[in-house]
Amino acid sequence: MAIEIPKNLDELPTTRPRYVGRGIRRVEDVGLLTGRVEFVDDVVLPRMLHCAILRSPFPHARITGVDTQAAEALEGVAAVVTGEDARRWSLPAQSSPEGWGTHCIAGDKVHYVGEPVAAVAASSRRVAEDALELIEVDYEPLEPVADPFKAMKPESPQVLDAQETNVMLDRVFTWGDVDGAFAEAAHVFQEKFRWNRLGANPTETFGCISEWDPMSLDLTIHGSIQSPGMFGLGRAATFSLPSNKVNIISHAHGGSFGGKGGTRGCDISCLLSRKVDGRPVKWIEDRGEYLLSGGGQAWDRHYEVALAVDAQGIVSGLKVGLVDDLGATGEAYGAISAAKPLAAFTGPYTIPVAQYDLKLVATNKLPCGPYRGMGPPPHFFVLEQMMDIAARSLGEDPAEFRRKNFIPADQFPYTIASGNEYDSGNYGEVLDQVLALSDYSALRAAQVEARAEGRLVGVGVANAIEPGVFDWNAYAIVGMPGTGVPEGATVNIDILGNATVRVGFSLEGQGQYTLVCQLVADYFGYEPENVRVVQLDTQSAPPSFGPGGSRLGVAITGAVLGACERIREKMARVVAVLMQSEPENIEFMDGKFTLKGAPGAEMTVAEVAGTMLARSDLLPPDIDPRPEATHVWTAAGRTPADEEGRAKSYLTAAHAVHIVQVEIDPETGMVEIQRYCLADDCGTRLNPDTVEGQTEGSVVQGIGAALLEEYVYDEDAQPLTTSFMDYLMPTVFDAPKLEMVAVETPSPFTPLGAKGCGEGAIHTTPAAVMCAINDALAPLGTSAREVPAAPMRLWKLIKEARERASDENNNY
Amino acid sequence: MASEQPQQGGIRLKVRVNGEQHESVVDPRMNLADYLREELRLTATHVGCEHGVCGICNVLVDGQTVRSCLMLAVQVDGKEVLTVEGLAEGGKLHPIQEAFIEEHGLQCGFCTGGFMMAICELFDRNPSPSEEEIKEVVGGQICRCTGYNAILRSVQNAAAKMGASRS
Ligand code: FES
Ligand code: FES
Repeated sequence: MAIEIPKNLDELPTTRPRYVGRGIRRVEDVGLLTGRVEFVDDVVLPRMLHCAILRSPFPHARITGVDTQAAEALEGVAAVVTGEDARRWSLPAQSSPEGWGTHCIAGDKVHYVGEPVAAVAASSRRVAEDALELIEVDYEPLEPVADPFKAMKPESPQVLDAQETNVMLDRVFTWGDVDGAFAEAAHVFQEKFRWNRLGANPTETFGCISEWDPMSLDLTIHGSIQSPGMFGLGRAATFSLPSNKVNIISHAHGGSFGGKGGTRGCDISCLLSRKVDGRPVKWIEDRGEYLLSGGGQAWDRHYEVALAVDAQGIVSGLKVGLVDDLGATGEAYGAISAAKPLAAFTGPYTIPVAQYDLKLVATNKLPCGPYRGMGPPPHFFVLEQMMDIAARSLGEDPAEFRRKNFIPADQFPYTIASGNEYDSGNYGEVLDQVLALSDYSALRAAQVEARAEGRLVGVGVANAIEPGVFDWNAYAIVGMPGTGVPEGATVNIDILGNATVRVGFSLEGQGQYTLVCQLVADYFGYEPENVRVVQLDTQSAPPSFGPGGSRLGVAITGAVLGACERIREKMARVVAVLMQSEPENIEFMDGKFTLKGAPGAEMTVAEVAGTMLARSDLLPPDIDPRPEATHVWTAAGRTPADEEGRAKSYLTAAHAVHIVQVEIDPETGMVEIQRYCLADDCGTRLNPDTVEGQTEGSVVQGIGAALLEEYVYDEDAQPLTTSFMDYLMPTVFDAPKLEMVAVETPSPFTPLGAKGCGEGAIHTTPAAVMCAINDALAPLGTSAREVPAAPMRLWKLIKEARERASDENNNY
Repeated sequence: MASEQPQQGGIRLKVRVNGEQHESVVDPRMNLADYLREELRLTATHVGCEHGVCGICNVLVDGQTVRSCLMLAVQVDGKEVLTVEGLAEGGKLHPIQEAFIEEHGLQCGFCTGGFMMAICELFDRNPSPSEEEIKEVVGGQICRCTGYNAILRSVQNAAAKMGASRS
């Protein structure tokens, strides 16, 4: 029988006040707050060894010799691995685009500072690190290339020997008559932008314990792993193992934001384990390693953008040229970040035609990886700056200029130029809400006064689309294979009627276990704290991708409700037999099965479960007697990409408008955020408190991106930001008070109408803050086109603008 | 990490942790965080940076907040240490823990112990801190998930709870 997953909250079989749709105490919190939740570094296995990794100090060099003898002789050292072991037992990393991966330990050449060249397993981390100092590596330094524009030239040093160029991809995607739109435009605006490399930096770095039995070849990995299923498949590919030989046990982890990375270190610990006869080998990345060569450095971008606008002020075309510096290899999915903007290329606007001139380039820097938002945040930064440039030049208010370019609320589902379909939205309403919340006209009036006093006060209005429920088809243009992103859950009712839900992902911070409890509680009439959520390893769990691509809230809702539906359907059949009726006559509400037209004939879920388990002899033979069901949810109706990359990919499109007021101190270049208001619409809010939490955190990450965070490399590709003294993470002093309001336009395509919202505000915040900064700078006739807008950068811009102004005055 | 054999250069250490007396022989270079985590298996003290910036590894030594990644184990000889494990008592959460739950002051929870320990010390000094005083303490800590607003609310809530229980 086909099951129907409730499309909105009213369809849940409950008459009580629902738990879904409101904030409740998180079931995760007590364990986390008391330190009882086990993170991977808390795990100790019998006979466990500890790994430390020797890393290249050169960005580009030949390795002419590695001498590990002294290290091997040190007391406590169990094994040393080098590039030779990596070549013997593993393949180069899979990459996107294909052919740009290398082995986890360098062979005859290093390609970036921090690339592993050898590793030690020893009785403790301290001994392992001592041993690293005894390893002698002979390097022959080669000329590095740190600038992607240089790297594209034929005379550039070649980063990967296996390739003939540093250009990983060079293609122009054209959607519609873009040349025509620009030829006919009343106005064309052009600008260049620079988004500097930044990264995820979860507070817990990556860590793992690997056990690779050299006899059976069974590989078991404990780790702080965001997507255990994918991670396992990756290891199977790297080690040429059947996928059922690899078992991943993901532990609760201290955030991820895409930036757990860690595959190289994990692969190295696997090689070491194999060398020491399958003993467990623990590798815990330290923060220095993370900043130097860990996961999640992302978005090292140079943009050239053009906007065509017609005589009525309607944007008629968009061209985005992107040179994306992906670092030395394509192993860490940096390329996907350049592809994902296709899912929302034209933002919330009706822009009918667009072009993407995309160049992915290799340099001697750390390979780029994913970071929260996975690519669109810089894209919306440039799109929103262009909208402001156009509005300012046309003398229009930035809010109203955006409004008249919005996709109207009655046009959904709406297919954008780059091919994706937006499910629903009400952009005008979201804008109205935040205009009211911020008292926008008062902000503008205050700005006029401040300007009259010579103060640099600016107001930014920016918005963005958050593509939700990711789908591999969005990444077809960078050669990512894959289709369908399943999420499964098994719901089990025990003999006393208590519910346990088995899932394939671990705690990461978003509160998804709480959501699971809310769903089951509402469905079967339980209390959320009495529902138990258990995480299984990848060989036992239902199919799972886990958190990522703003999808887990929607996907796990579909999986859990689907499993609940299946149990209800099975139980209804059992009840029908026991009540000598037909399943059609059995109704279910508030945890009770009743027989239509027979008052008093009822059974609770617990009674049915007890009967099924204790008296399976009473059941018809074709009924599985377990009150248990698994459902695997996948977004329906996704389409493969055409030649130009157009696909129905991400299932949902959330929307937000942020209004920010800033003041820049001209003497220091420091930006103070004075007001921060936002309205957002991510459909049905399954747990408004956790949605709010995601938003608050994401705003502050966005502020970090706009003002602070940057991985700096010198011109010889030496990284300069290798501690938290240099890589500036936002603190409470960078976090403004947030004023927030929600709009709920349910998705017609998802369970309960929810939209993906976990990546959230970082899509909009950097754009909004930069719009505000440029609004503040406008009277000086200058603008900031580089992110982060660090004090030194702004101070220079202001100083130069003032010098220009005084020169001009002197000339008259 | 697995414990190392006490080496020849090992140093004897006596310390009270969460009210319990411990005697160990430790490598002189072992830091306090590693001692707590590896020797005593008190793993609620997490490390986020190991260079003194994030404050996630905070514990109280004789009532003072210290970065346990920057202090050597041997430095706590004869002293009293309080860790996250010592907050809840008799199966009951500490008011600070309660407040973090109520205000959603944690997401992944990896950083939270460091915040709670620093806040404990703050409340010892100053039971009703102003927002600025709270910020001074919270400002020494890094949280990547919450964006801090919820942490500030948690501290204010905890201050109210503890004030109420005192009066
Ligand atoms: S781990 Fe000690 S301050 Fe960061
Ligand atoms: S809750 Fe995750 S770092 Fe603070």
